[in-house]
Amino acid sequence: MATSKLKTDRPTYASDFIPSDVERAVFLGNPILDNMMTSLIALGAEVWSNRRRMKVVEALLDEKGVTAEMIETYMPTAEQDAEWQKDRDRFIDLTYSPLLREGDLPVSAAFTRENK
Amino acid sequence: MIDRRTLFGASAAVMSAVSALFGTKSASAASAPASTFKGDYEPRGTDQRLERLPRLDLESYDNFLTGLRIWTGSASGKTSRRRFYKAISDAGLDPREDLPLEKIFPLVENDTYIGTAARMRTSGQQLMWTALQKHYHENADVYLDEMEAADNAGPGKLELNPDIHIPDYTKHEIHIQPGGYVGDAFAGHIYHYGTNNFYRAENYQDEIHRNMATQMATPKDGKVMRILDMGCSSGQLTAALKERFPDAEVWGIDIGGPMVRYSHMRCVDLGIGANFRQALAEDTKFEDGYFDIVTSYIMHHEVPAGKTKEIINEAYRVLRPGGVYFPIDFETGAGRGRGKNAYSRFSSWRDHRWNEEVWRPDYSSVDFNGEMRKTGFDVVDEGPPAWRSRFNVLGTKPA
Repeated sequence: MATSKLKTDRPTYASDFIPSDVERAVFLGNPILDNMMTSLIALGAEVWSNRRRMKVVEALLDEKGVTAEMIETYMPTAEQDAEWQKDRDRFIDLTYSPLLREGDLPVSAAFTRENK
Repeated sequence: MIDRRTLFGASAAVMSAVSALFGTKSASAASAPASTFKGDYEPRGTDQRLERLPRLDLESYDNFLTGLRIWTGSASGKTSRRRFYKAISDAGLDPREDLPLEKIFPLVENDTYIGTAARMRTSGQQLMWTALQKHYHENADVYLDEMEAADNAGPGKLELNPDIHIPDYTKHEIHIQPGGYVGDAFAGHIYHYGTNNFYRAENYQDEIHRNMATQMATPKDGKVMRILDMGCSSGQLTAALKERFPDAEVWGIDIGGPMVRYSHMRCVDLGIGANFRQALAEDTKFEDGYFDIVTSYIMHHEVPAGKTKEIINEAYRVLRPGGVYFPIDFETGAGRGRGKNAYSRFSSWRDHRWNEEVWRPDYSSVDFNGEMRKTGFDVVDEGPPAWRSRFNVLGTKPA
């Protein structure tokens, strides 16, 4: 998230500046933990942006006669249900499988055939 | 579509009418852009006074981070504070006392809950600034076109000063804003929308600035012909002052060229005839005795102590006899901005160190009201409460 500098030949009336060192801050004892927290917040912002856009879409649909109640009470067909569950399972697998990873090798681990 | 020039024309009567509109936001997602000057760029129209952020996703991103800031200020902030008090108490110290930082750091620095609250606040702020800057940079030509179109438009005027010497003390990335007040072409845009996040969604219609304008101290003789707003940043107080005093000549000054440029463009868009000049508060270039009111809003804690004194002198110089100086900032009185207990000492330090509030300790070191007295002002320590319901220092230049 370092400050970017605008490249333009046009007059901007901006001067040079003295950058902060906030990019080097470690509040959680390990910079990776700090970074993960930042990513988690960014992910939340993206998820919320999608949900908010969906609300806009639903509001517009409502104006066209597709009401929130129709969406809430929509009953998928058996084919749709099967397809959606398959997609859900794929989503869960991709998202949570990394949590099951049993890593045990330090960075300095020797490169041996047994490790493969 | 609301015609903002109609609604927000420079009239106190209109201003009160608009106040009555707060909270009556209509669900007008389909509102068309309201172009009020040739070259105006408002792809998503306006929400009353606020030009909507130009992309729905950017608005939503900002909306989330505003919510996060509110949450970190309450839920995670409370956890952090509780952990802080416990750590200090467990060490046999009294957290209500103003302890030195050297004693505080070893007790709290490795507490991951305190660290989490700090990280969430800082990262949320960084993400917000980055998202805004990225948008404006990626669409730079559109926004530069818009500012160029407004530069020479009225009703107010803009005085840019590209040859001005910009002192180093102004070049820091205050609030970790990328490029700070002076170093980004879109510093005004970024500051305005970024501080909407700071204000926790309570200032989208400039409510806080307009309330300050309403509370603005006036000379005893009632004459208000000229007003100066020092360090005006995105010009929201300047605009509100012009609305409260429509017949007055109102000036906003800031050392940031992009700041005054944005302020001017926004006033053009709102049909508000405030003037803006790129200038230093300690060297305004106005003639002696020109103003009836000199004010500023949260500027003094962003300048070194020596400059604070120079700025007070400059305010005195440009005020006419009987004119008033009303610098709105953190706590008034000799103790302005000083920590009162261990937690406020720690949080003040953290704000200084990681929110890039470079000059906050300097500000705390100044006997502000005393300096005003030394300069020659007749000082009222507990003047009108213009901000956060606190009394605000008020100085009058003797007649």
